[in-house]
Amino acid sequence: MSTLVSEPQAAQAIRIADVCKSYGDYQVLKNINAEVARGEVVVICGPSGSGKSTLIRTVNRLEEINSGGISFEGQDIHAPMGASELNKLRSRIGFVFQSFNLFPHLSVVENVSMSPIRVKGVSPAAAHDKALKLLDRVGLADKANSYPGQLSGGQQQRVAIARALAMEPPVMLFDEPTSALDPEMVGEVLSVMKSLAAEGMTMLCVTHEMGFARDVADRIWFIDAGEILETAPPEDFFKNPRHPRAQRFLADLRH
Amino acid sequence: MIQDFITIIQDYWLLLLIGQYPNGPLGGLANTLILSALAIAFAFPVSILMALARLSKWWFLRWPMTALVYVTRGVPLLMLILWCYFVIPLWTGADVPSFLIMLVTLVIYQGAFLSEVVRAGIVSLGQGQMDAARALGHGYMGAMRFVILPQALYNMIPSMISTFVSTIKDTTLGYVINVPDLTFAASQVNNQLLTQPFQVFLILALVYYILCWSLTYVANSVERRIARRRAGPRNARLPAEAAPLKTITEQL
Repeated sequence: MSTLVSEPQAAQAIRIADVCKSYGDYQVLKNINAEVARGEVVVICGPSGSGKSTLIRTVNRLEEINSGGISFEGQDIHAPMGASELNKLRSRIGFVFQSFNLFPHLSVVENVSMSPIRVKGVSPAAAHDKALKLLDRVGLADKANSYPGQLSGGQQQRVAIARALAMEPPVMLFDEPTSALDPEMVGEVLSVMKSLAAEGMTMLCVTHEMGFARDVADRIWFIDAGEILETAPPEDFFKNPRHPRAQRFLADLRH
Repeated sequence: MIQDFITIIQDYWLLLLIGQYPNGPLGGLANTLILSALAIAFAFPVSILMALARLSKWWFLRWPMTALVYVTRGVPLLMLILWCYFVIPLWTGADVPSFLIMLVTLVIYQGAFLSEVVRAGIVSLGQGQMDAARALGHGYMGAMRFVILPQALYNMIPSMISTFVSTIKDTTLGYVINVPDLTFAASQVNNQLLTQPFQVFLILALVYYILCWSLTYVANSVERRIARRRAGPRNARLPAEAAPLKTITEQL
């Protein structure tokens, strides 16, 4: 774990070192080593069941790991620590789920403002104003007082992005944010993500949207059977994939 | 026949309402209402704590509470009442009033049943809501309080009403340990009249019916109001008309 010494000014936002994870006998992640630099947009792609979602969920410790370490801004998030310390770290990592997971009992603006109030202690008035600004930014200012059940999937996912941004995280993780959406709603979510990337947000995205990967990503991690087989800038990855498994994956996509 | 009812009510309304009070202990309907209200008021928070203990990752909370729920579910309430009635004074040496024994027994018994309802409500939400709350930095208790329980308890309103209603009905069992409630008062009336048990106990049944029905009615209107607020103006009519009809027939 010598690679994970605390460096407050680490150049990497996220550093994954020797991470292994198993469910019983089945090894989901095999010795993963990778880094995300500050301001970088990384897209994780690979066939289903390859461990992409598990990997991204270990980054904010929604999944535990068996060995290795993951440092977030120089702090090992999988080190033994008290619950409040972990919560504090988690609150600084935005996470967007495939299934949105909005809180259906709260209105849209309450969804966005609740965590800043309850976790960060922001005053309700300030959190409300901030939430309205964020909703405006994702194009949903007029839905502030609606409830999640009244919104389309694309709108719900944009609220979920606003909710994550409300905690002002330096890093955003996206776990297949468009996979549960009808095709005509994918674009509205991707354009919010593109604008975030353009503003310099550090992003780690699991996605099957290869167009997004090609246009927005700084680097692609290709993962299969729990191993990162190739990391490359998108132009290299899509034109000249080196690993045979990646070549096959891309060939299958074109069919 | 109708005249009999009117005469009974005219002669005994005060006994049925407050028992022997102020010459004796408070009893009758007043005591039934107090006992029911206290039992529900305590059983509800107790059930949430029991449900959280049963879902806890710590065995020293989970195991005893699971055992308590299994035992309570597997023993008739009457046995539990009699057991508490005879054993608690033996253990403590104190003369515990039967009202208090009945209250504690009801809170444990209904708390155990209610805790299974609450637990089902929490489990049925799925992992996604908890994940979302944790990812935003909420602690376990914060996630429970602001995200999980408001949804779980709302979803479980129909089942909780059933338990509340059966709590009211179960207060009648206090009769066997001489809790001076409405049933006790009605039985006193019957003992004085001797010839009109049908009339006396029909009055009793009607009062309990009205009591339980009112609780169901209030709870359903609360549920309807929450549903309407969550659905917003666009979908207001659908849950307002569809859901409560079903729950009313479920309850009565």
